[in-house]
Order: sequence, then C-alpha cells, then structure tokens
Amino acid sequence: MERIVYMDNAATTPVDAAVLDEMKPFFTEQFANPMTYAHSSSGDVAHVAVEEARVRVASLIGSQPEQVMFTSGGTESDNWVLKGTVERASRERLHKSGHLVTAEFEHHAILHSALALQRQGYEVTFVKVGHSGIVDPDDVQRAMRPTTALVSIMHANNEIGTIQPIADIARIAHEHGALMHTDAVQTTAHIPVDVDTLGVDFLSVSAHKFNGPKGVGILFVRDQEALYPFIDGGGQEWGLRGSTHNVPGIVGLGKAAQLGKERLPRELERLTMLRDMLLSKLSAQIDGIVVNGDMKQRVPQNLNIRIEGIDNEPLLLAMNEAGIIAAGGSACNALETLASHVLTSIGCDLKEAKSSIRLSLGYATTTEDVNYAIDVIPGLVKFLRSMA
Amino acid sequence: MDKYSRATIREFMSPSNIGYIDDPSGMGHIADNADAVELTFFISVDAGHITDAKYRVAGCTALISTLSVLSKELPGKTIDEALALDMSYLSGVLDGLPESKWRCAGYAVQALHLAIEDYQSKGEATAG
Repeated sequence: MERIVYMDNAATTPVDAAVLDEMKPFFTEQFANPMTYAHSSSGDVAHVAVEEARVRVASLIGSQPEQVMFTSGGTESDNWVLKGTVERASRERLHKSGHLVTAEFEHHAILHSALALQRQGYEVTFVKVGHSGIVDPDDVQRAMRPTTALVSIMHANNEIGTIQPIADIARIAHEHGALMHTDAVQTTAHIPVDVDTLGVDFLSVSAHKFNGPKGVGILFVRDQEALYPFIDGGGQEWGLRGSTHNVPGIVGLGKAAQLGKERLPRELERLTMLRDMLLSKLSAQIDGIVVNGDMKQRVPQNLNIRIEGIDNEPLLLAMNEAGIIAAGGSACNALETLASHVLTSIGCDLKEAKSSIRLSLGYATTTEDVNYAIDVIPGLVKFLRSMA
Repeated sequence: MDKYSRATIREFMSPSNIGYIDDPSGMGHIADNADAVELTFFISVDAGHITDAKYRVAGCTALISTLSVLSKELPGKTIDEALALDMSYLSGVLDGLPESKWRCAGYAVQALHLAIEDYQSKGEATAG
C-alpha cells in the first residue's frame, strides 16, 4: 500500500478508535433524545451520556460542568461569544454600541464575526502582531476603551502555533471592565488549558482537533448572564443554545477529552521532540529555511517554515505525490491563491508567505513518519530549486 | 472545487526542457514578487522556424506544467504559429487547468511573447 504520512493535524485529526467505539451505540440502539430523560429511560441513557461528556470536557479545561455549552464546533463557539457578548453588553450595560478588541491574525471564525459586528455598527480594533507571532499585552492595553465589551485573542495561532499571553491579556481586559475570550481550538488537549489559570470568561474548543469527531465543540461560559443565545430554539444548554443534542458527537468529544487529558503530558514531550527533530534535520539538509513565528512559545505539534526560493503550492503537490500531506495556509483557506493573512500579519511579504508550509503532527504521528518526511522533503525542494 | 488534472500533475512532476539555450535567438524574462514568480524563456529560431525552447522557472504548478507543454509544442512552428498558442489551447493539452490558475500560467505565454519580441528586435537591428 502507498505510504501516507499525515502532517496536517492542525486542519483536522483522525477519530481515535476508542472514541468511535463509544459513539457508535448512540447512532443506533441508544438513539433517544436526551431531553426526554424525565419520562423515558432510553432518553435518560442519552442524557447521562451527554452529562458524562460534559464532566469529561470540564475536567480537561478545569471548569465546572455547567459552564460547558455544547456547540457545533469552534466556528459556532467563536461566532456565539463575539456576537452574544458584544450585543448584550451594548444593550444592557453600555447603552450604546460596544467595542471589541481582537487581533489581525485570528482565525476567520473570529475575524469574519468581528467584521459582521462592525457592519452592524459595533466598533472593532484589530491589534497588530509582530514578527514573533505573539500579541503584545501592551498593544491590547492601548486598544482598550470605556466601551470595550470583549477582548478575544486566540490561545495559539492555527497556522504558526504561537502561544499567546492570555492570562496577562485577561487581566488587562478585566481591569477595563471587559470580558475575555480565547479560541483554544489549537491548544486544548495539546498543552495545559485551564480556564482559571488563563483567567478567561469564555473559551472555544473543537473536538476534531484532538481525535474527536467533526461537527462538535464547546463554548466555556463562566457566567451565563454575560451573553445572549446565538441559536434560539428549545431549552437545551440552559436555554442558551437550542437544537437537539448531537449525542454521538458529544459522547465522542467527551471520550476524546478524557483521552486527551490522560495523554497530554507524554504527547507534549513526544511531539515537541519529533517536531524539533523535523526542523533540525530539514534545516541541516535544506539551505534557507526560516521558522515563521517564535519557536519557543509554540504548541508542540506545529512547525511552520518558509523555504527560500520555493512556491509552497508545487512543493505541497509534490509532497502529496510522495504521500506526505501538509498545508500552506490553513485548510480553511486552501482554495485561496492569496498568501496567508497570518503570515502577512507577522510581517512576511507575499513571496515569503507563499514559500511557507505548515507541518502539523498529532497523536497518530510516528517517529517513522517524521523520518520519512526528513528523507523525502529535501529531495523535492532540490527538484523545485533545480528549475529556477 | 479547483484541482489539477492528473495530466497537469504528471507534467509538473517530470517537466520537459528545463534549462538554458546558449546564445538564444530570443529571451523573455518575467519576475513578479507578489505572485512569487521568476521565469526566463529562451528560443532558438532558424529559417523562420523555432528549433528549440527552454526555460528556468520558480513558480506554481500551473506555470511549470504550462511551460513544459509550451516548450514541447514550439519546435517546428513558425513565429506566427507560436504566437497563436494561447492558454485555452495549452489548458486543453493539460486536460483542463483550473480557471483560477490561468492568470499565473499565462506568464508562460507572456514570456514566450517577450522572447519573440526580443528575437524580432534583434532582426530589425541586424536589418537596420
């Protein structure tokens, strides 16, 4: 069989076999609606499973179970928190259009939600990010206004993996009477994520980034009074998020959270070692490799490098032909021929951005996988450079 | 969804005619930083017919595969026949290039045209 080395785990990860096993019964025999638990024993089975998953997720992020709201994933969580808090604070506390502070290199789930708020008359400041790919808390401080309702800065960037000083930024937000959100989609189950240590009021998580299923995530909500519902409907999730629970997905998220918590210390060490080996051995064989963003304050699974004189598109295609799957920008923008907004926001010019690739490892990545990439990629770079 | 045909990927993975022509009849050079493209196209012309075409390139898959196809089409063609080679023809040879890639692949045709202009200007200089 053709060898496939999957190095695009920041885009998505395979569902763990143990996760799938726990999900399966909830597609078939345990199909009941958890909201019927009061009068239906099969509904109660589903309800218990959903609540067990809530406890497992809460345990992973250090929250109370009732602060975990199930959603359809990171994008919904980000949309909800931005729109739900800014609208509520504006109407009920500020009595005028509130202000949002976020950063230029956020995921489009945040950026486009912020632009949607702007279209509706709310004010938004997009803080700039320097070469390090790390937001300077002083820049957030300078962006704060009396009307700032929410500060939303991602925990780690999805393309370059740089970890942000969330606790410091949360302190600034709170000093100014604003709430703090972080999109922790790239960090949860990869590095320790604790809502109290981070000091956040809201936190977004997506299951499929840590071997759970797609289409399910959470928004951690410290205080339910701080935001309006986003999906109006039935009484699910304390009436804050209508829609029949995605029971198999939620069960899968719960199992992935449990496994993620158990595996985290060892995986953090193992992936850091593999990632560092990948960089050092590629750098030894390929001239002109530069790491995009700070290398130390970075999630263990991420390597984002630019390779001088190379267009990432043919390199990624040639890698794919050799069975190595990686990414240029984020998967969400793979169809755009424009350079990554993340890389241009940290000061890369278009040529540098277009010569960059993201290699992201995961639980399923083996040492052999990394060695294969180390063996193959230099030859492909040489092939492309030989044309120039 | 835009994706490359197998023919395009095959062409890109083993491109023909990469290289230089020493003392070319005409040469065209294009550099575009925003598109991360740098390209030089060389032609040899003898008795009104193109006899050889080669190129050096840093650019995208579409451009590399288009250059490869173009360089194989050129030998034996007159200048007018060469100028008639356009993106819709070259895309057809590649079993269809995604339309979003035509602009970048079009640098191949532009570079050929520059090489032909260079050849023609030399002819005028000689004639003058």
